[in-house]
Amino acid sequence: MMRVRVLYHLARADFLERVRRYSFLLILAFAAGLAYLTFIGTITLQLGEYRGVYNSAWVGSMMTLIGTAYITLAGFYMVKNTIQRDGQTRLGLVLATTPMSKSIYTLGKALSNFAVLAAMVSVLAVAAVILQLARAEGGSLEPGRLLAPFIWVALPAMAITAAVAVLFETLPVLRGGVGNVIYFFAWSTYLGLSGVTGVNDYLGLGFFMRRMVGALKLIDPSYNGGFALQVGPLAHATKTFLWNGVDWTPQLLLGRLQWVAIAIGIAWLSALFFHRFDPAREGRHRNKESPEPAEERRAPTAPIAEIHLTPLKRTARGSQFPRLVVSELRLMLKGHAWWWYLVAAGLFVASLAVPDGQARHAVAGFAWIWPVLIWSQMGAREARHETQKLVFSCAHALDRQLPAVWVAGVVVAISTGGGLGIRLLIGGNWPALSGWLAGALFVPTLALALGVWSGSSKPFEALYTLWWYVGPMNHIPGMDFMGIARSQFSTQFYLLATMALLTAAYLGRRSKLGYA
Amino acid sequence: MQLIIDKAGKLYHGRNGKVWALRNFSLELRPGVLGLLGPNGAGKTTLMNIVATITRATEGTVTWNGADLQRDPDAVRAVLGYLPQDFGVYPNLNAVEFLQYFAAVKGLDAASARRRIDELLQLVNLADVRKRPLGGYSGGMRQRIGIAQALLNDPQLLIVDEPTAGLDPEERVRFRNLLSDLSGDRIVILSTHIVSDVEATATEIALISGGALVAHAPPEELLRAAEGRVWEWVIPSAELGAAKQRYLISGAVRRADGVHVRLLAEFAPAGAVPVAATLEDAYLHCLSTHRAHLAEAQAK
Repeated sequence: MMRVRVLYHLARADFLERVRRYSFLLILAFAAGLAYLTFIGTITLQLGEYRGVYNSAWVGSMMTLIGTAYITLAGFYMVKNTIQRDGQTRLGLVLATTPMSKSIYTLGKALSNFAVLAAMVSVLAVAAVILQLARAEGGSLEPGRLLAPFIWVALPAMAITAAVAVLFETLPVLRGGVGNVIYFFAWSTYLGLSGVTGVNDYLGLGFFMRRMVGALKLIDPSYNGGFALQVGPLAHATKTFLWNGVDWTPQLLLGRLQWVAIAIGIAWLSALFFHRFDPAREGRHRNKESPEPAEERRAPTAPIAEIHLTPLKRTARGSQFPRLVVSELRLMLKGHAWWWYLVAAGLFVASLAVPDGQARHAVAGFAWIWPVLIWSQMGAREARHETQKLVFSCAHALDRQLPAVWVAGVVVAISTGGGLGIRLLIGGNWPALSGWLAGALFVPTLALALGVWSGSSKPFEALYTLWWYVGPMNHIPGMDFMGIARSQFSTQFYLLATMALLTAAYLGRRSKLGYA
Repeated sequence: MQLIIDKAGKLYHGRNGKVWALRNFSLELRPGVLGLLGPNGAGKTTLMNIVATITRATEGTVTWNGADLQRDPDAVRAVLGYLPQDFGVYPNLNAVEFLQYFAAVKGLDAASARRRIDELLQLVNLADVRKRPLGGYSGGMRQRIGIAQALLNDPQLLIVDEPTAGLDPEERVRFRNLLSDLSGDRIVILSTHIVSDVEATATEIALISGGALVAHAPPEELLRAAEGRVWEWVIPSAELGAAKQRYLISGAVRRADGVHVRLLAEFAPAGAVPVAATLEDAYLHCLSTHRAHLAEAQAK
C-alpha cells in the first residue's frame, strides 16, 4: 500500500510540475493543432478513394490513429526529460537518499509521462466529438463507440511511449541527442512494418487497417487495399463507406492490454539501468577522469600578494569576431569521440569521390545528418549549461556572439557536406550548387532559431531528423533542403526561410537579454 | 568612475499577482567594496541583475559614468565582471579553453587573453588542473573558475553574488584578500550572507529589506548605531526559551556556568554586561529597527 502511495505522489508531483509550465500549453496546442488539421481536412484517413462516414466509430478510430501516429513520435520528445529535470534541479539527489526503490521511481516517471500523453489524447477525444457533431453525417453521437478506440488503442500506445521515454533516459547512450535520432528511426521503421504486416501493433495501425480493409472489401470487392493516413493537399476521397467500429471482444481487449503490461515491464526494466543520480556514474559517462583527485593534488597555496594581475589595455575590439567564431566552433566540436571525426571525414570523402550520382547524393545526405547533435546545441547551449548570465552580461552578446554561433554552424555545414559542394563546383553545376549553399545556410539557421526560442536541443533534433528523412532522403518536392531534388523555387524558398529564421533567432535572443 | 542607481524598481508578474522585488531604490557608488546585506528575498539578486544588465528595471534609471544602461547597456558590459550565484560551465572544455572562450566573448585580444588567463589560473589556484575538463571539477573549483571568468577583462565594475559559497576556508580567505586588493581602483559589489566576508572587505555596506534600501553607510557607522545595545548575559539553560521570546538574541554558547547569551536590547537585563558590537549585531539591530518602524507605520 505504501508503495502505491509513493508511486502516486511521485507521478502526481511530476505531472503537476509539468502542467504548471508554459511548455505544457504548447503540448496541448500541438494536440489541438492535430485536431484542427483533421477538422479542416488536411490530415485524413483514406482507403483508396474511400473514407468512412463521419459516425462515432469512424471519427473515434480516425482520431485515435492520428493520435497514435503523431503523439507517439512528437510526444516522446516532449516527455523525455523527466529524469533529466530531477538531475538538473538536484532534486534527484534528495530522492536518491529516500527509501524509494529504483523501480518505483521509474514506474512513477513513466506514469507521469503517460498522464501528459493522455492529456494530449484527451484533447483529440474532445475534438472527435466536435468533429462528428460539426460534420453531422453519421447519425447521433455514440460515446461508447467514439471513445473505445481512444481507451483501448491510444492509451496503451501512450503507455508504451511513456515507458520507452523513461528507458531512453536511463540508458547513457540513448539519454541525449543520439537517442532522439535513434528513436525516430526505430519509430518510423516500426510504423512502416506495422502498416505492411497488419499485426496487432501497439500503434494500432495494423489493428485498424486489417479491420477497415476487411469491412470495405465486403462492400466493394474491387477495392485494391490502399490505406493511408495522409497529410497535405492530396486527392480527397470521392466515396464513403459505413464503418461500424471494432467489436471489442474480451480477447481483443486482452490483446490491447498486453501493451500496457509490456509498458509496465519496460518501465520496470528501466530501473535496472537507472543509477539513482550517482555522481560517480554520471561522471564515468561524461568524463574519463574521476572528479576527486585533482583537489588532492593541489599545489601549496601561493599568497595573493605574490600573484600579479597585469592591467589590461582597453583597446578597440571590433576585430575580435574571427576569434569568437573559432571559439564557438571549438565549443561546438569539443567532446566528440575520435570516431565521430573519422566518420565525418569518411562521409566528406565519399560524397566527393563516389562516381554514381544517386549514391553520392545519399552519402551527402548522411553527411548532413551526422552533425545534427552539433547543430542542435546552437542557441540552446547557454540554457542547457546555465551560462546565460555569464554570456548575456558580456558586451555585444546580441550583435557579436549570436552571429558568431551562426557562422560557426554554417562552417560545420560547409565542412561536413563540402564533398558534394566541391563536386558540384568542379562540375560547374551552378543551380545545384546554389541550392546546396542555400541548404548549408538554412540548416544551421533552423537550429539556431529553434534553439534560441526553445532553449532546448530537442525541437531541432526531432524536426530536422524528420525533415531530412522526408526531404533529402525521400525527395519530397519542396522539402529537400539539400538541393538534390532541386528547383529554383526551393533555392529561393530556403534562402528566404534562412532570413526569416535568422530574424527569429535575433528577436528571440533579444527578448532574453533584459537590456537588449 | 561612478555608478548611480536612481529610484530603480523591478516588478515581477507572478502567478500570485504582481510583486515589487525592488522599489524606489537609490544608491551612488564610487571605487571600493560595497557589501550588500539583507535577508533572503530582500531584492539583492534583483538589484545585481539590473546593474549587470541581465534584467531591465521596471522604473528608475541606472547610469554608469553618465551612460544610461537602459539605452546603452554595452557601456557597462564592456567593463563588467559578473559572478552570479548560480552559473554553469561547459563540461567538455578545460579551464584554459573555458576562459579563452569567455575572453573571446568579452572581446579580449589573443595575446592579452593568454597572459591574463595564466595569471588568473595562478590566482585562483587552478593552474595544476588547467587541462582537466570542467565536468570533473568540484563545486569549489567551479566557483573559482567563475571568479577567474569574472576577472578576465580586468573589470572596472565587479559584481559577485555569494562568491565564497562552496569555497574551503583557505580559499575563502584568499578570495577576501583578493577583493580587498582589487577594490582600490574599481567598484566591487559583494552580496553575501556571510557577514564575516563583508566585515573583512567592505568599505561601505548597503542593507536591503523588502526591496528597499534600509541603510547605506560605512561599517563603522553601522557599528556605532549598535554600540551600547549589545549585551552578554549568563543564564541557566532552562531560561533560554523565555529569553528568546523576550530579546533579540544573536548568539548563545553553552558553558559550565550556564548559557552565555549575546543579545540586542535598549536596556540591559539584570546581570548582563555590555560587549562590543560586531557587524552581525549591527545588521540585526538595523533590521529590527527598520521592521519596528514599518510595524509602527502600519499600525498608524
